[in-house]
Amino acid sequence: MIRVVSLRKAIVAGMAGAAAWEAVFRALELSGAPMFDIVRGLGTLAFPNGPVLAWWAVGMAAHLFVGALWAIFYAYFFWSRFDWPPALQGVAFSLLPALLAIGIAGPQLATMHVDALTIPVGLETLLPNFELRTTAGMLLGHAIYGTVLGALYTHPVGYRTGRHRTPVRQSSAYVPSTPVEASVPAFAFATGIECSYPTIEQGRWRQDQMEATGHYRHWRRDFELVREIGVTHLRYGPPLHLIFLGPDRYDWSFTDRVMPALRDLGIEAIVDLCHFGVPDWLENFQNPQIPEALRDYARAFAARYPWVRFYTPVNEMFVCAKLSALDGVWNEQRRDERSFVTAVTHLAKANILMMDAILEEREDAIFIHSESSEFYQACCPDAEIVRIAAFENERRFLPLDLLYAHPVSDMMRDHLRTHGMTADDYEWFQDRQPPRRVILGVDYYEWNEKLVDSDGNVRSLGELFGWYVIAQQYWERYRLPLMHTETNRLDARQGPRWLWRQWHNVQLLRKAGVPIVGFTWYSLVDQVDWERALGKANGTVNPVGLYDLNRDVRPVGLAYKHLIELHSPQPDFLGTGAWTDEIEDRKRA
Amino acid sequence: MTGFLSAHGYDPGPTQRPALAGLLSGAAATIPATALLHGFGALEVEAEIVGRSIAVTLAAGCAIMALAGASYGRLFRRAANDRRGGWLIGAAYGFALWAAGAVMILPLVSGGTAPAGMAAIGVYLSLVLWGAAMGWLFPRVHRPLHKSTDATASGLGPAAAANQERLRQSKRRNGSRLR
Repeated sequence: MIRVVSLRKAIVAGMAGAAAWEAVFRALELSGAPMFDIVRGLGTLAFPNGPVLAWWAVGMAAHLFVGALWAIFYAYFFWSRFDWPPALQGVAFSLLPALLAIGIAGPQLATMHVDALTIPVGLETLLPNFELRTTAGMLLGHAIYGTVLGALYTHPVGYRTGRHRTPVRQSSAYVPSTPVEASVPAFAFATGIECSYPTIEQGRWRQDQMEATGHYRHWRRDFELVREIGVTHLRYGPPLHLIFLGPDRYDWSFTDRVMPALRDLGIEAIVDLCHFGVPDWLENFQNPQIPEALRDYARAFAARYPWVRFYTPVNEMFVCAKLSALDGVWNEQRRDERSFVTAVTHLAKANILMMDAILEEREDAIFIHSESSEFYQACCPDAEIVRIAAFENERRFLPLDLLYAHPVSDMMRDHLRTHGMTADDYEWFQDRQPPRRVILGVDYYEWNEKLVDSDGNVRSLGELFGWYVIAQQYWERYRLPLMHTETNRLDARQGPRWLWRQWHNVQLLRKAGVPIVGFTWYSLVDQVDWERALGKANGTVNPVGLYDLNRDVRPVGLAYKHLIELHSPQPDFLGTGAWTDEIEDRKRA
Repeated sequence: MTGFLSAHGYDPGPTQRPALAGLLSGAAATIPATALLHGFGALEVEAEIVGRSIAVTLAAGCAIMALAGASYGRLFRRAANDRRGGWLIGAAYGFALWAAGAVMILPLVSGGTAPAGMAAIGVYLSLVLWGAAMGWLFPRVHRPLHKSTDATASGLGPAAAANQERLRQSKRRNGSRLR
């Protein structure tokens, strides 16, 4: 699949464009300024001498049909290729069918009206007739069509907030099968179902990756693919925003289908409870109710699915706070330090309360805190540039520092105080003892290493030091077992190469004595709109998956299968009981 | 369009056989297209224009459309597997074949005669229908033709970590030195 298209929207927009064209042209004809009459041209093919109503009805039906077809073509191949206002995109696109109509379809329509089965042709027949009124009429008609089409066809993925939806309508029922005994793997070879659900456009539009990638419809097939590749663990984030309807109100209809299926298939789920968004009623991460509300959700989830052992309470706190409160892309869409500190505080506190609540339900739960690894390199010895890089290199740790009660630097402490974190808030975090069974997930993509340029702007560096170096910085700071919890490559051709290079980083760091318990290619199927950080609901497919959206395997999927087969015998860190002793030994060393 | 598809990862990978799937889908799609041609009386007109019997014209047409299907598979590759939108890509391809083949090439090879009236409508509709049917059939025909993932994973082993382009350049340089 090359684009996620809303067929319904495209058909409606295309027909509306064709209807607008006809309305304008019929009005012009009635007012004594007739233009090229496409409806008559099409209708009289069927009723050359028939009554007006007959040829008009047939012509209009054909006109609407062709309008819908071109609109679907627009939705697949043209929509959002340019960052222009939607109506302008539609007008620009309309030049294509207009030129084809003038150059080919128009002259051919004339031959179709000839009362014979063959005609002699020459250049004069093949070449278009540039009669002014016809040409102008075709251009104007198509421009009207394109304007309406462009204005109406927007947001092919996601949905308006404030309306109750349930993914169970799209999903098939689950028929319980004979449970597969979940083996205790020595090492987690994982993938994930991308599940981000932030709001954009000031909270009016909901991005929902599980819907955009078709997981609600194809969840059963997706789980089969997990088995096919040989993956042992699946990072899986049920749609919090569709489940948690209000205080003590939950819609478990979808998870009641998928969670038992995961268990029966023997796939160890790493359940991701909050992934870049919150339900409509909680609004955004500036809301002080967030920590307690998410705690209640975590408790309810753990009680309902007691066999789940691995949890990621809040995914990538740093990225979530940065894109929501500092970069102005998601949720609250703020761009100030105070909002960022507020979001980080709420996310870290939520994470802690959620862990406590889950441990009350399942005391042997294991938490995998997936966090984006970041690194900032100063371009030059300029004092201000060095200061910015140093500050950003501190800031990247902030959510984890709060989560793991790690003291922040004086510089960061001043920053927090200036931007609203009280001494009591800070002490609350620092006084805590983090749970024992915690794994730090270190995500890494090619854009995670950044350069602070001479103007103080941050630019992507590409893979400069690599996961080995960056992950080691996180290990040195927290001394927690690590897992490579996300990586992929936007260029599908480079996927296998990137996979093996990441794997070699993991191997080298393990040889250096760091307890690494798992590796993840993220995600199982392609993602949608991540090239714009989900900031636009365009439906652009990012070919990063082990499988594409048709659920056909990509070369990187085959490479991962091969990697798992080759490397599955690994030292046992994840087996019950002994793993923590081994990790404790390494931490002490 | 090719660049756009390429950017979206249209490399089919070693498990897929897009040309074969296109060949089979293209051949199968001639069945409804031929029925439509016949219904509009266009098949007889085309045979008359090219100066061959209906059977020969039909056989040649089926072979050409099967090859056109194979070309479709080669051109669109992974993108042709789209179950929701394949019919549309196919219909657009059929329209392009009509514009290039029926409108431009047929009159030239026939010495300046083209279908007109109902026959012209039939030729146009049959090619668009052929494209839509072929595009719809393609992913459904292709899926059972996929090679097993077990048999094909070996080509994407650890050597994939290397920069393949550099390796090729290095081999070329070493080879030229040896010579």
